[in-house]
Amino acid sequence: MKILDSLWGVRCVWLRYFDVFRKSIRYYLVTSFTEPVLYLLSFGLGVGALVGTMNVNGVPVSYRSFVFAGIIGQTVLFQGFYEASFGGFVRMYYQKIFSAMAVTPITLSEVLWGELLWDASKAAVAAEVVTLIGVAMGDFAPLALLSVPPVAFLSSLLFAAFGLAVAARAQSIEEISYPQYLVIFPMFLFCGVFYPIESLPGWLQWAAWALPLTSVVSILRTLTLDFPFQYWAVPILAAWLLLLVAYSRRAMSGRLVK
Amino acid sequence: MPPLRVSHLTKRYRTRDGGSLEAVSDVSFDVSAGECFGLLGPNGAGKSTTIQCITGFYPPTSGEVFLGGIGVQREPKRARRILGVCAQDETLDSDFRALDQLVRYATFFHVPVAEGQRRARALLERFGLAEKSAEQVEALSGGMKRRLQVARALISEPTVLVLDEPTTGLDPEVRRVLWQILMEERGKGAAILLCTHYMDEAERLCDRVGIIAKGRILDVDSPRSLIARHMGSTEVEEEVRPGAIWRRPPNLEDVYLKLTGTRLHAAAEAP
Repeated sequence: MKILDSLWGVRCVWLRYFDVFRKSIRYYLVTSFTEPVLYLLSFGLGVGALVGTMNVNGVPVSYRSFVFAGIIGQTVLFQGFYEASFGGFVRMYYQKIFSAMAVTPITLSEVLWGELLWDASKAAVAAEVVTLIGVAMGDFAPLALLSVPPVAFLSSLLFAAFGLAVAARAQSIEEISYPQYLVIFPMFLFCGVFYPIESLPGWLQWAAWALPLTSVVSILRTLTLDFPFQYWAVPILAAWLLLLVAYSRRAMSGRLVK
Repeated sequence: MPPLRVSHLTKRYRTRDGGSLEAVSDVSFDVSAGECFGLLGPNGAGKSTTIQCITGFYPPTSGEVFLGGIGVQREPKRARRILGVCAQDETLDSDFRALDQLVRYATFFHVPVAEGQRRARALLERFGLAEKSAEQVEALSGGMKRRLQVARALISEPTVLVLDEPTTGLDPEVRRVLWQILMEERGKGAAILLCTHYMDEAERLCDRVGIIAKGRILDVDSPRSLIARHMGSTEVEEEVRPGAIWRRPPNLEDVYLKLTGTRLHAAAEAP
């Protein structure tokens, strides 16, 4: 009964975000989908035409398909992180809506779950749109439309949790730029979105595997392109997910509640 | 048990240097149905911390708060169903228009959308905001935002209403509108906790007043009794500007001064 009551609270918060999304759908469509689609077009079609087919871990694959799968990972990274970090900071610090909701029959814990689940939902939907484009262009098998969403959702949750943790620790909105430039962009560039990480020096490959996006991209390529399953990606992803979700909720509660 | 009971509430914060600060010390009071209880004190006196503990947002270090007989720390979701809160800060959801905001907030209290819309329209009318129902929050003036925030506190038809400085920064006309609405809510049986540092507001609205300073309640009584007990009926002389001395009947501010040795407004304006 208590769990049902808590789920009701989380649902209320999620619906609040959905309501805002629904009312500003044009804005959200432009800001959510333009970036991944531009990456798809420029790298997939532009660079893809130059590179042609390549061999990755013994699997022949067109660069376009390879990068399409990577861009699903990039989409969950950017969408999850930005919505939770900048958006979360605005909601926590300027709008103060976390505090406003948490003095109703909804608890702060439910507010934060609602925030994370919404951020993850939104990013996962954007990732599904990229997958759909990949399927429509013949790069992925249609089954990817079913297999990608769970992974995209959990990965988005991970990056949203990182974003919320950043929002909780930031003293000003400008401070969010530090992890943006020092963590998010390096992940984007070195975790296998645009090229196989095997082409990096050994030490940099280790560093890339320590970051969660490499695992996300690896699993996504297994699901979309039938790449060999790199089983260690799962525990790495699970560990980051559990750690960041727990830490972000604790950090935000600690910031708000004295 | 009365709708609101605060029992031996103490709240200590950890300070940045590793020490601790007792913001609220052993505070106890009840607010009965149909009563307006004022909590008076300058900024930093412990009013807002007391409110944060009453709403269950801050966990008390010791003591308990009961809303409708339900412990707010033990069962916050159930206890807060009867609670309406207007925070000191503006906490309106600027992603929504005025009407939608109230309707969405009502759903947090299990109020169905159709009923929420009916209540929201009635409240906007009552607060003189009906014409602004389709406006975004950012388009409203400061006074309108404040009215909307109080209206939002009423959307769940609460039996306990907690208002933290609801009239700060409002012009006299809007203040009077809000006072009238608060008295109507009291008349309907709501238990109202009003935190303010406006003495005239407390004297006018509150059945009883608790004067709080440095986290402790110094005295609790009706405004009239507090003035009579602490000041008597002798007129007070006050130098309002150099050379200009006014004689006037004693008021709550004089009581506060006598109890704390602090001039209330001066203290309230200190950084």
